[in-house]
Amino acid sequence: MPNRILLSGNEAIAEGALEAGAHFACAYPGTPSTEILETLSRRGGIRSEWAPNEKVAYEAAYGASLGGARALVSMKHVGVNVAADPLFSSSYSGVNGGLVLVSADDPAMHSSQNEQDNRQLARAAKIPVLEPSDSQEAKDFTLRAFSISERFDTPVMLRVTTRICHSMSPVETERDRSWPKAPIRDYDRNFRKHVLLPANARPRHVFVERRMEELEQFANGERDLNRIEWGDRTVGVITSGVAYQYVRETMPDASILKLGMPHPMPRDLVREFAAGVDEIYVVEELDPFIELQVRALGIPAIGKEVFPLTGELNPDLVERGFRLSGSGTASGGTGPETVVAAPPLPVRPPVLCAGCGHRGVFYTLSKLGLIVTGDIGCYTLGALRPLESMDTCLCMGASIGMAHGMEAALRANGDERRVVGVIGDSTFMHSGITGLINTVYNGGSSTILVLDNGTTAMTGRQDHPGTGVTASGEPGGLVDIAALCRAIGIRRVRDVDPYDLEALEAALDEELSADEPSVIICRAVCRLVDRTPIAPSVRLDIECPGCGTCFELGCPAIEARDGAAVFDPEICCGCGLCVQICPFCGLHVEGREELEPA
Amino acid sequence: MSAEQSSIRNVLLVGLGGHGVLSLSRIIAEGALEAGFDVRKSEIHGMSQRRGSVVSEVRYGDVVRSPLIPGRGADMLLSLELLEALRHLHRLRPDGVLLVNDQRITPAPTGSGPVDYPEDAAGRLREIAPGARIVPAHDIAVELGEPRATNMVMLGAFAAITPEIELKVWEQIIETAFRPAVRPVNLAAFQRGLELATRA
Repeated sequence: MPNRILLSGNEAIAEGALEAGAHFACAYPGTPSTEILETLSRRGGIRSEWAPNEKVAYEAAYGASLGGARALVSMKHVGVNVAADPLFSSSYSGVNGGLVLVSADDPAMHSSQNEQDNRQLARAAKIPVLEPSDSQEAKDFTLRAFSISERFDTPVMLRVTTRICHSMSPVETERDRSWPKAPIRDYDRNFRKHVLLPANARPRHVFVERRMEELEQFANGERDLNRIEWGDRTVGVITSGVAYQYVRETMPDASILKLGMPHPMPRDLVREFAAGVDEIYVVEELDPFIELQVRALGIPAIGKEVFPLTGELNPDLVERGFRLSGSGTASGGTGPETVVAAPPLPVRPPVLCAGCGHRGVFYTLSKLGLIVTGDIGCYTLGALRPLESMDTCLCMGASIGMAHGMEAALRANGDERRVVGVIGDSTFMHSGITGLINTVYNGGSSTILVLDNGTTAMTGRQDHPGTGVTASGEPGGLVDIAALCRAIGIRRVRDVDPYDLEALEAALDEELSADEPSVIICRAVCRLVDRTPIAPSVRLDIECPGCGTCFELGCPAIEARDGAAVFDPEICCGCGLCVQICPFCGLHVEGREELEPA
Repeated sequence: MSAEQSSIRNVLLVGLGGHGVLSLSRIIAEGALEAGFDVRKSEIHGMSQRRGSVVSEVRYGDVVRSPLIPGRGADMLLSLELLEALRHLHRLRPDGVLLVNDQRITPAPTGSGPVDYPEDAAGRLREIAPGARIVPAHDIAVELGEPRATNMVMLGAFAAITPEIELKVWEQIIETAFRPAVRPVNLAAFQRGLELATRA
């Protein structure tokens, strides 16, 4: 009897990689993809590595593939941009062991800076895409992706979305969930295939185009990947990914063409389906990827006119789309009338944790009124009320390059305001270092703050080269951020305790007035990594007059009750920032008297 | 509504990051699977430990397809905090069950916008949903010496009103879900939750 277990999409992909006998997996953490590698490293039996960024991760996986092993590399959608260089060219040079790239897209941008649709990138790179619609398919399609990769000599993109990655559904698997490794294929040098000199790459491009044609023929015939579910012939719906589930629930009687492999699109199958129904709808999240190809076949299709182009779909939006288009058969979706309209309520945005080492830095930056180029991580929360001390947040590592360029422009305009770049330790390893080399090389004088909390915090605390611990929890090589900065030519590198506001302000003053680049490392271990209190909870010794100064820290341990500050001992960990700014000297932390204002 | 959909139980779980919403919803989903149902569970957990609002959706029944509950289709709203219950109440069906932990956690000052935390949130909930079950889950967990077991008190209260899943299923899952050191306190919290709802 098969074993039914509840897995998230990410856990199911990991399960599929293990069942496929993969030898090598790597990733850079990024929501919603992170748990794929975490699951693999926890389960063991496969070499699992965090790479410093997605480009390196892809290259390492590609090397493993050419070496003959089955390899899986996972990343969030914007990570594929970072990995695009090796991805696009590896499409030409092909694989040896199967190579699966998991692209975890984030429609609705639950935790991302854009909502690009990476089916478009796969089409540009000319590689096939598989798109599962639940956890069972996430596992099954991972297995299929490895075999397609090997059969057609191509990297394969497994494109998932947040609702697949972070939803759980039953998966059938063996009771004994340990599988043999796939045999490693022999490696042979192949100059014409693997060395992409122009003379070799030209015939490889011809190969790639032929491969896509063969893949399309394959996709037409693989009815377990692309299947027609005949129902009511008046309405035909072409759909893929999680949208399939919304369609099945909203339009239980409609005929459906479910594309598990939306690229290359199986055109014969689409024609067969279209010939069998009166009207065609295309329901897909984000871009009209399938829709435009269906229309290119001369088949009129209803799609983005009624289903949103932006954000993620849900059963209600799908139901609404069918209703708007005049299709009377939609059922469900709306549910009964609501109990009550939601009254205005205080919002509850995510905040930096109580005791977070980033808080004092942003408080100081805000106080000094500096222009701050920011970066990607927990510390992006420094842009929100009440700290509001970040001017930009673009992509991984951008803070440093942008600080350099922005300073150049401001100076050229006679604007003397100073620019500070703020970046986390993991982000610095990812792509901060190249920006800093640029600043040194081109004679910039930026001041860069590295907020070093000893982990990749936002994605759930993963290790990185600066922690010296590998994905499997073993000791690894340690890259020292300060030594690295000195090695590339930064002379002014210093450590500052981010809980000491006076020291922070003094350090910023000094480094901003220096006419050369400088790096200030603010080291405080993430409160979610080390939860032991820094000191006993803060003590209020006076009747709080309610001046509100400590509210400016945005600390979740401080509550305003009738205008006065109330401190929550359950989460206060004695960081002492509020002690330092209370104008009435009413706050104390046992053992940290040195922080109290004189 | 199709027959397939009318057999589905839609449970909406809400609370704050770091509050145990996600582990609670996982246990409920595991319990439903163990009891022989098809199950889907969905949530967003990028901000889950940073005290932002957290929502998790669990659906179980003969056949479940969408991982998301249709907008206003929750059969039960289980909230670990009063304000969060108010925030998501509009997704509860008129005949739905509202189960709320009687705890008030105010958003960080000046980060929460111009509106104040509603005075008498519990009263407002009772006014809108007269059948609301507002239970002192956090107080009980504190009394047991483990505030983090609040979610297991809520599981007990949930188990008491969902007879389609046998009690022994929950006990087995709690046995395997927690480290030996915190197993007894979580089981005790579950038991207290059961008694609470049975009395209510």
